[in-house]
Amino acid sequence: MPDFLTAYSIQNWLESCPQGYLEQTQYGHAAGESEASIVLDSPKLRDQAIQSTVQLVVGERCALAASSGLINAAPDEGSKRFLATQTLDEARHVEVFTQRLLDLGVRKTELEPLIKEHANPHLVAFAEVLLEKIDKGDFVAGVVGQNIVLEGMAFTVFEMLYATNVEMNPKFAHTLSGTIADERRHVGFGENRIGSLIKEHPEKKAEIERMQKEMSFHMLATFADSFRESAPAIMEAQGILRGTNGTQAGASESRWQGRSLSTLAPEEMESLLADSVLKEFKIRLTRIGLDYQTPVAP
Amino acid sequence: MPENHVSDIHGLEPQEFLSQVHSFEFWFESVEGYLSGRPYGHQPDTVETPLSDLERDRLITALCNYCIGETVALEGASGLIAIAPNREAKIFLATQVADEGRHLEVLLRRLTDLGVTDPETEIEKHANRSLLTFRHRLRELVEGRDWEASIFAQNVILEAMEFSVFQTHAEVADPITREILEGIVKDERRHMGFGENDLGRRLALTPHIRDRLNVLRRSLDPLVLETFEDTLSQLGISRSEHPGLGRRYLETVERLGFAS
Repeated sequence: MPDFLTAYSIQNWLESCPQGYLEQTQYGHAAGESEASIVLDSPKLRDQAIQSTVQLVVGERCALAASSGLINAAPDEGSKRFLATQTLDEARHVEVFTQRLLDLGVRKTELEPLIKEHANPHLVAFAEVLLEKIDKGDFVAGVVGQNIVLEGMAFTVFEMLYATNVEMNPKFAHTLSGTIADERRHVGFGENRIGSLIKEHPEKKAEIERMQKEMSFHMLATFADSFRESAPAIMEAQGILRGTNGTQAGASESRWQGRSLSTLAPEEMESLLADSVLKEFKIRLTRIGLDYQTPVAP
Repeated sequence: MPENHVSDIHGLEPQEFLSQVHSFEFWFESVEGYLSGRPYGHQPDTVETPLSDLERDRLITALCNYCIGETVALEGASGLIAIAPNREAKIFLATQVADEGRHLEVLLRRLTDLGVTDPETEIEKHANRSLLTFRHRLRELVEGRDWEASIFAQNVILEAMEFSVFQTHAEVADPITREILEGIVKDERRHMGFGENDLGRRLALTPHIRDRLNVLRRSLDPLVLETFEDTLSQLGISRSEHPGLGRRYLETVERLGFAS
């Protein structure tokens, strides 16, 4: 078993995650915290929160299917055990984001139809590209798709959402902070485990790079749809953050990647997010010996 | 979660009850009590009992086969997530995946503590043929996306087998191995509960699946019994000394109405 895998043991996971940053939390946030009233009281913001949370549930369901599916394809016990912890992390993410939908007022009986109706078709296609590799038992492509592309995207999206919500909606920001810590660990495993496997299987590079290009296209298309559809809600939230409508005057500025999220236009935010994710992809893919492929613009 | 949480949930409607008990939150509340302060499955100050060479070799052989059993369980539970019928079942199985991974890890650690330098090679050397056949059969069922047969083979037959073996072994084991096995048994009880609950409800609604599962049970029982025989001999225990091993297994399986 590669030595680095000892850092990804279940014992370490137990101590750092459930017994660490998740201690004293319920569904990822402190007991008693609730969704911000500005979200619940504004139909526009509530709808946008539901729409975006549906995409998080869809993404996490894909991650749960992928990480559990990879266990049987893993070539060593250490990777199987790490993936066991990742499987439970992803299941927890499905649970906390599903709970958020309930907290936003979605009825249990409406959950599945709502998710089906609002799941972005490009995000569904993104998941299908990855799960096809998992179904074939392709461990190397599966880990790149799951732990570099999907987790890299999730990590950056969660960070942006955290920055947006930390002042406006602390309960959701707290939920996100636990998922960010999890994703950081998953990405770390992907980088550490796959580099050596890519060296052992150079013949797989071209196929994996094609997968990255295809997944990146669907990711960018999902971002484009999401920011276009939620533009009115984003502008309303920015108005609240800037205190211009008097609802929450004096709230401090939300900054991310050196930019003010309170003043960027929705298309500028989309561009900032896309650039940040793709930049991360390039760095991480280079580290594991793959060449980043620029996706077709959606 | 409040201390009275467990008594509260039993007052919930059936669907809400299942939603609560098949959650990460409930899992963590369940395991925290017996995992906290027990890195690698036992308290750090539990003293190692000196073992003779024969006792050590027997223990290593048994632990190697427990590792195979836990690997089968890990692969089975993770494969079941893809075919689970709903979100709650998927989340419960994800907690089971982490449990099975932990069992494998603590058993591997015990092997290392006993002086095994290359556990994977050692496990291969001692692998029980019946257990490997069971692994193959379970994988076929899961890959065939047969939920009822897979959950029966995994969460009833396999978990009942492990539960019975570990409980029996714990009664005669050295203190460290006993603590490890007792912790695993607590998880197995939860896993069997899920299998019994899921299949019990399905059997009530569609009794005809009982015949199909009975056929499956009859084909798996010989593998289970051969594994029991082998385990007892690995541990140096005669069957007459421990008739409870087979009985525990049969009682668990028969609770669901699967008489031999």
